[in-house]
Parts: sequence; structure tokens; C-alpha cells
Amino acid sequence: MNDSIKSIYDAVIAYDADLVKRLVNDAISSGEDPIKIMNEGLSKAIIEIGDKFGKEEIFLVELMVAADACKAGVELVKNNILEKKVKSEKPRGIIVLGTVLGDIHNIGKDILKTLLETGGFEVHDIGVDQPANNFIDKALAANAKIIGSSALLTTTAPSQKDIETNLLNRKLKGKIKTIIGGAATNADWAKEIGADFYASTATEGVNIIKKYFEGEGNED
Amino acid sequence: MRTKLEILSKDELDTIYQTALDILEKIGVNIEDDRIIELLKKNGCTADSNNIAYIPQKLVEQCLNSTPRGKVRLSGRNPDKDMILEKDQKYPFIISHVLMNYYDELKNDYHTITQDDIRDFVTISDSLDTISGNWMCTLMPDYGKMYSFYEYEIAIKYTSKPVCISSFEPEAIPPTLELAEAVAGGRDELLKRPLTVAFCEISPLTWNKYGCDMLKACSKWGIQPIITVETPMGDTGPVTFAGNIAQKIAELLSGLVIVQLLQEGLPVAFVVPLETFDMRTAQICLASRPDYIYGLAVGQVEDYLDIPFISPVSPDSKALDMQQGYELSFSLLSRMLCNNKCIVIHGLDQTHAICNELLFLMDEMVLSGKRMLDGIEVNEETLAFEPLKEVAAKMEGNRRNGHFLNHKHTLKWFTPEQLPRKDNIIDKYRREKWQEMGSKSFVKRASEKASTILESYKPEPVSKDIENAMKKIHEKYNIPVI
Repeated sequence: MNDSIKSIYDAVIAYDADLVKRLVNDAISSGEDPIKIMNEGLSKAIIEIGDKFGKEEIFLVELMVAADACKAGVELVKNNILEKKVKSEKPRGIIVLGTVLGDIHNIGKDILKTLLETGGFEVHDIGVDQPANNFIDKALAANAKIIGSSALLTTTAPSQKDIETNLLNRKLKGKIKTIIGGAATNADWAKEIGADFYASTATEGVNIIKKYFEGEGNED
Repeated sequence: MRTKLEILSKDELDTIYQTALDILEKIGVNIEDDRIIELLKKNGCTADSNNIAYIPQKLVEQCLNSTPRGKVRLSGRNPDKDMILEKDQKYPFIISHVLMNYYDELKNDYHTITQDDIRDFVTISDSLDTISGNWMCTLMPDYGKMYSFYEYEIAIKYTSKPVCISSFEPEAIPPTLELAEAVAGGRDELLKRPLTVAFCEISPLTWNKYGCDMLKACSKWGIQPIITVETPMGDTGPVTFAGNIAQKIAELLSGLVIVQLLQEGLPVAFVVPLETFDMRTAQICLASRPDYIYGLAVGQVEDYLDIPFISPVSPDSKALDMQQGYELSFSLLSRMLCNNKCIVIHGLDQTHAICNELLFLMDEMVLSGKRMLDGIEVNEETLAFEPLKEVAAKMEGNRRNGHFLNHKHTLKWFTPEQLPRKDNIIDKYRREKWQEMGSKSFVKRASEKASTILESYKPEPVSKDIENAMKKIHEKYNIPVI
């Protein structure tokens, strides 16, 4: 890792989004390889921070602020890649995320989104209060392999079942996997409705999704 | 604003204090030592044929004036870790007491304390930032009449924090003092950072022969006395709070007067438990309801006298159960919130047993108590108007969807406002996660943490000089190494 990439890595570790942006701009201006900035600076730092959070060595706020700092750098690099028409790496996987119909809680979903994006995944966030078919339509349009739905209220958790039913009806069950989470859910509920995965926390969700796309259980 | 609970008005404190002075002057103190009686008489007291000395207000005030303030220092190996008990302390010092038995909740085992138990308990206490030192009173049978020397020696080995001891057999004084000299780094240093010993007066209003011997030993050897009075409510003290506190003050001041007459200028502190005679079981109990009320007054009384009180927190519960949690939290919190200077925590079973796991509950409670003392900071930054404005500006469609989880304001203020811990053993997981992790109780988690600390934590080692001094003292006084 050269000095400019190391300083980008350090700035993410220091949770300093403004510094990350400045250093990434400087590195790009001085001709640094954008893929290297992404992989050896930004991604490396956020993966380490994610691991630390997983081991309970840092708090969620530190992870979230670092992820924002990382995202600020990633945006600049992406723009540079587009400008230069450099061949970028494929995303590690494509996921659709949203909160189910009748439910407007977004924090857990947003944490998962941030962690996935900084981990190299392409995330399509359809927002809160979304009917089941919106998840499926978006997954088809974006060629996503996983739908993630969040439900915080016991009154809205049945909407997660609607996603499973609609996938079955549209003969997509199994082709698009589902992961559920949120305070109103648990592993038994996932089993009952036929969801493929259940995550009790955002970090657990990231691990399940990573594992899926890394091949284990991936039918592609 | 900093938190401080007060339960007595200035007028009420004046009245209680004046009653204490009246007790000394009109009811008097029984003193079983002719030399001390003579000394008191020479200094303006009267005494009757029953060895009751009547101490005038003038002498009490003179002796209070000659008692140094802000000089009570509890010492150990590392001077940087000394506790200096003084009026404007930010937080109380917390001492964990080593007692006669060890209780293992997970094994349902209760046994006479062993050296291994002491080593482990003192080591864990040394590793915890919330605990400032140890107090030793194990009376371990193997230690015989040298128990105070042995207790001091083993504690010194496993902690560099202050170590206090409770009384001693007269023959244990010279070797203990020699070891304290080696720990302090010489006789002159020991005078500045003295050995601290606690001993008891006998209620009501009696200094028996043992107590008088201890008072004289302290003045002779330059040992810092911690005078303890026990006036169980309804037993040897009145059942009313005001009267009981007045009696306590009178008894404490009688000891202070004798100490100052024996050696003017010797620093003094008081140990002042609030015991209740339980009329249902005929037991003297320490963590009953009255203790919590008295706990709220301790800080005010010690500030009034300007002499530090070391105040015991002593749960009566026999197990690490809900009663333990209740008694420990009420006793501890009342003292912390009234600005008591130093709290000594006995484990469980009415000052009879210790338990490693309990240290972690204390640790968590003390941290929370300290944070409560800090109060709530109100300023432009903590009011968080601008951060809220930014968060509220985030929209998804026409619905606000912002949060503070990734905000710099949270990053900056989360730790100072909440004092979070990364290695917290207080369970905050979802039930499923908790089950996945083994459905462990607090005691089980604390036991695992104790094992981790004992495997990985090494207390600051004793210096070669102290080690050599220990060897020499054993040889010189023919004290077997146990």
C-alpha cells in the first residue's frame, strides 16, 4: 500500500469523511489507479471496521460514520471510473432492500444497506411502506438475487409472507432468495412463511448475504 | 449540574452535632484504660469512679482543629494509585473487602477462604478501574496470630493499589509495619504514606481495653487510625436516625479526641456502618431499609465534620440473587449520590463472604453511579439543535427518514454521555442471540470474565526490594511462609 492509499485507509479508520473526500480527490488527480484506491484503501478499511464491529470492538455509530466516510470516497472513485471508462469490478451481488407495507421504520434496513454497499454489493433500496410486488418487480428489473425485507411491527410482519406467496405465484420462488429481519421477526417466523434466510442483526444479514454470493447455496 | 442528594438541612445537622457534643459532655464515655483517663483529665475532662470520662465541647473542638484535613491517604505499592480522601472529591473511592469465606454460586460451594481465593479476588480487584483498593480481614485460621501480617503481605503481592487492614494482634505490629516501610520505601516515606488500620469502639460509648490498646498503638507507631463505630439501631443505638447519628458522631469524636491527645496531628478517618437490629430474626443486618436512608446522610455528615467517612456497603443476601442486587444497588447508590468519600463493599452474607462474580456487578453499578453524579450537561452542543435540523432534513418522498446513527454528533457525544463499554457483560442482546450464545446468566458470564482476567491479567509485580524485605521479615520474626 503506497502512502496516498494508506492515508485514505487511515482517514476511513479515523471516521473523517471530509478528509477521505479530499485525499481521494488528491489521489485521483495525481493519477492513482481508482481500482486500487477502492480495493486497497476504502474497502480494506471498511472491511476491517466491519470485522471490529462484528467482534464488538467498536460501536455501531463508529461503523456507520466510517461507512459514510467510505461511501463518500467510493462515490468519487466511481465517478472517476465512469469518466475514464476504466473497467470496474463487478459488484459482489445485487440485492433489493425495503421495509414492508404499513411499516415506516428504516434504521435497520439503512444499516444493512450501508454495510452491503461499502462491502462491494449493489443495493437497490425501495424505501419504506412497500407492497410485496414492489420488492419483486425491482428485483426483476435490477437482476437482483436476494430480496431483503424488514418489519418492525407485529402487525406488518404478515406482509413478509405476501412476498413469499407472490414469489410462488409468479414462479420465482427459489430463483430469487429472501432474507427477513426486524424486531417483529425471528427464525421461527422465517421458517413459517418460507423465507430463505433470517438475520437478527444487520451484521448477521451481511454475513449471510456474503456467504450466499460467495457460492455456498448460490445456485448461479 | 452535578448531582448531589441531601437529606438533612444545615439546622438539622447543627442540632445533631450539638446533641453529639452534649452526649460527650453529659453522658460521657466509658474508657477502660487508666493512662487515657489521666490524659483526658489533664486536658479538661472529668471522670468518675466508673471510668466514665466527660469530654467538654471545647476539647472536642480543639482536637477537631488539630486533626489535619485533606491528609487522609490510603496507600499501597504505587503512589499514583493512592486514595486521598478530601472534601471536594469528584467521585467516591471504592474499596473491595476481602472476608472470611468464599462463595461460589455456580458450584453452590461456601468455604473458608483460602490463599488462592484471596489471590484471585485481589487480582481481579486490581484489574478493575472502578475499584481503588482492598481491605483485608480474613482471619484465616492458617494465619494464626499473625493474620494481619499475612493478609497485608498477600494483598500487597497481588495489587499495587492501596491496602488497608482491620486491627491486629499486638505481636503482628512490628513485622507488618516493617513490610509497610518496605512498601512505602523507608520510614520517612511511611510517615507520608502510612499504614492504615481500622478498629472498633464498642457501643454504647465505650472504649474497651482492646480499643484503647489500638489507639495507643497507632500513636506509638505512627499508624493511621480508622475509627469504627457500630451502633445497631434498636440494639446499642437508638432506633431513630437522628439519635443514632448523634450517638455515632459522639463515639467517633471520642476516638478522635483520644488520638489527638496521644499524638497531635495524626490524620484520622471514620468507618461508619449503619446496622439494624432485625426484630424479626434477632440478627444485626447491614443492608436493610434504614441503611439506604442513612446512606443518603453519610456525605453530609462527613462534610459537616470535615473528616472522611468510609462507609460500608454490606448485603445480607446469601446468594447472588435478586436480594443481592437490591441490597447492593440501594446501599451503594444512596452513598454515591450523597457524595460519600469512600465506600467499602463487603461481598455478601452479612460481611462474611466474598465472591469474584460480584466484583463485576459492583463494577457496573459503580460506573453507573459515577455517571449519575456527573449529571446532565446543558450547552449548545449537547442541546443538539443543529444535528437535529440536519437529521430532520433527510427525506424519503415526503416522509422524514433521517437518524442520528451515522451522525458526527453521536460519534462525539455517545461515549461521554453514556459511558458505554465494549466488553460489557450486562446482556443487551435479542433473546435469540442470547440463546445462541448459551443462554448464560449474569453469574455465568461474570465467572467467564473472571477466568479470562485471571488467565491474562498480571498485576504490577512487587519490586525486588519488597520481595527481599518479605523474606527477611519472615526470617527475623520466625513467621512461616504459607
